[in-house]
Amino acid sequence: MNLPIPFIVLLAVISLAGTGFYCLLFTRNLIKVVVALQLIVKGVVLAFVLAGHLQQNESLAQTMAITVIVADTIVAVIGLSLAVQIRQHTGSLDLKALSKLKR
Amino acid sequence: MIDQPLFISLLALPFLAAPLIYLFGRLSVRKGKLLGMKVAKTLTLAVLLAEIVLLVLTVKAAMGGSSVQQLIGLELMRFDGIGLILSAIVLVLGVCVTIFSFPYMNNEKGEEKFYALLMMTIGSIIGLGFSYDLFNLWIWFEAMAISTYFLVAFYNEQSASLEAGLKYLVQSAVGSALVLFGIAAIFAAMGSTSLEDIWQYGAQLGTLGVLGLVLMIVGFGVKAALVPMHTWLPDAHSQAPSGISAMLSGVVIEAGLVAMLRVISMTGKLGGNWGYILIIFACLNILVGNLMALRQTEIKRLLAYSSLAHVGYMLFGFGIGFAFGSGAGTEGGFFHMLTHGLMKGLAFLSVGALLYALKLVKGDHSALTLEDLNGASRKYPLIAVCLSVAVLALGGLPPFAGFMSKWMILVAGVQTKNTWMLIAVIFVGLNSVLSLGYYAPIVNRLFKREMSEVVTAGKRVPWTMSLPIVFLTLAVILIGVWPMLTDFLLYNGQYFLLGYFFN
Repeated sequence: MNLPIPFIVLLAVISLAGTGFYCLLFTRNLIKVVVALQLIVKGVVLAFVLAGHLQQNESLAQTMAITVIVADTIVAVIGLSLAVQIRQHTGSLDLKALSKLKR
Repeated sequence: MIDQPLFISLLALPFLAAPLIYLFGRLSVRKGKLLGMKVAKTLTLAVLLAEIVLLVLTVKAAMGGSSVQQLIGLELMRFDGIGLILSAIVLVLGVCVTIFSFPYMNNEKGEEKFYALLMMTIGSIIGLGFSYDLFNLWIWFEAMAISTYFLVAFYNEQSASLEAGLKYLVQSAVGSALVLFGIAAIFAAMGSTSLEDIWQYGAQLGTLGVLGLVLMIVGFGVKAALVPMHTWLPDAHSQAPSGISAMLSGVVIEAGLVAMLRVISMTGKLGGNWGYILIIFACLNILVGNLMALRQTEIKRLLAYSSLAHVGYMLFGFGIGFAFGSGAGTEGGFFHMLTHGLMKGLAFLSVGALLYALKLVKGDHSALTLEDLNGASRKYPLIAVCLSVAVLALGGLPPFAGFMSKWMILVAGVQTKNTWMLIAVIFVGLNSVLSLGYYAPIVNRLFKREMSEVVTAGKRVPWTMSLPIVFLTLAVILIGVWPMLTDFLLYNGQYFLLGYFFN
């Protein structure tokens, strides 16, 4: 079997994002929710690298990928800090413990 | 050339000021002194007023003929009508919210962070409006999102606030990941993310471009609270401090909408009936927003759900603009964006003033229910009148601003002379009447009912809180009786949005 490399990368993008979305829908643990968000964004980074490769514009793609990683790290930090505070208040990381606002 | 430095300082000033505000506040809080906090507050207000002056000066420079633009690296920022409307709304509302928050946030834990984050939010919304590059647009968008995450979860000793903050963060992050996938798809098709290039060679984007555009509409739609993606909004808006609720509802969701419109207008050559999609979303938003608002018992949640309906009216106007090339529809959309900022800002600030006087002063962080408002006019006549003006304007009663903007949108819908559009206009009009079903009882409660226990025990509302509320009330009435005031803003917004889409 002789698959072209861009095709393999595309498969990786789709499977990373798919795994992320799947986790996001089915997990109940706050930490895992943040991990799922990270997985999706890692798919995004790979998609930018692939797009840059296809257009022969790798340098622009790299700068974008780095910017995305930075912004994404900030989001992860905020998400985790919220998770820590929720753990301190409710004593659990379960999303089910958090349904005061559902109406 | 004076316009260039003016424009750069307009963009950079909030980001230079934000760390200073935090430092002043932090140093004084740590030492247990009050002076630094006062300096921080004054600095916030001064920078916002300076921004308004800068905006006016830049408009004057741009009226001179040459386009005001600035390259940051490879990314183009350009001063135009769409960004002008967004920054005008955010600055006016920002000043009101800042003055309102002086007493509201006083001695709250983390007060020094509040003003710095507010400043960052305002700065990134201004930048978002002027961005002419897809990736740059996303950076401003993400900066806005990050600074509002903290503000939504500001009361971090309340688990309800944390829950709202987490919901907002997760949904918003997924939305921004979808936007990024969209940008990557367009980048893969074009090799460039400059909106100017995309506009020029839009026809060659092909399937990948359509996929990218759909992903971006969905992604920005999360922030603009299009209906299936709206579930974060009522929680976030009701749990944030009242000033932030006003900002979130008045400009942040509109900023998502503007980002979406900017992308759609630049891909006009791609073809496709994006206008009709916007109209379908608009009808959904209006219906769901109104029905959900009808059954709410907490006033801030009710106002949050009504924001959904109002985003629907805006989308309806823009949808008519894109689908039928109607300038009036687009102007109506922008007009409603402007009046909604004022009206919803006013509503949230008045409710915030009551919440402060009735509950927060005593350290009670529970939500203000509709029952608690009973008979508030006896004790707080000024706030009650202002709140009534706000909700009646939101419901679209004649002498107020909300009527003029809804009227403009509906007239534009009728002028298309399309049977389906006529049906949609009737549907939207009836929904506007339905919305009075939850706005009018608020006025009834304020003026007709016996005083509730909470109101009897309520404290005084400080005058610094009443000041921005009265100002916004006057603005809502003034624009209602004299809508021509906003013509300059609306025409320019319409000119740039449709000008790119159809050429």
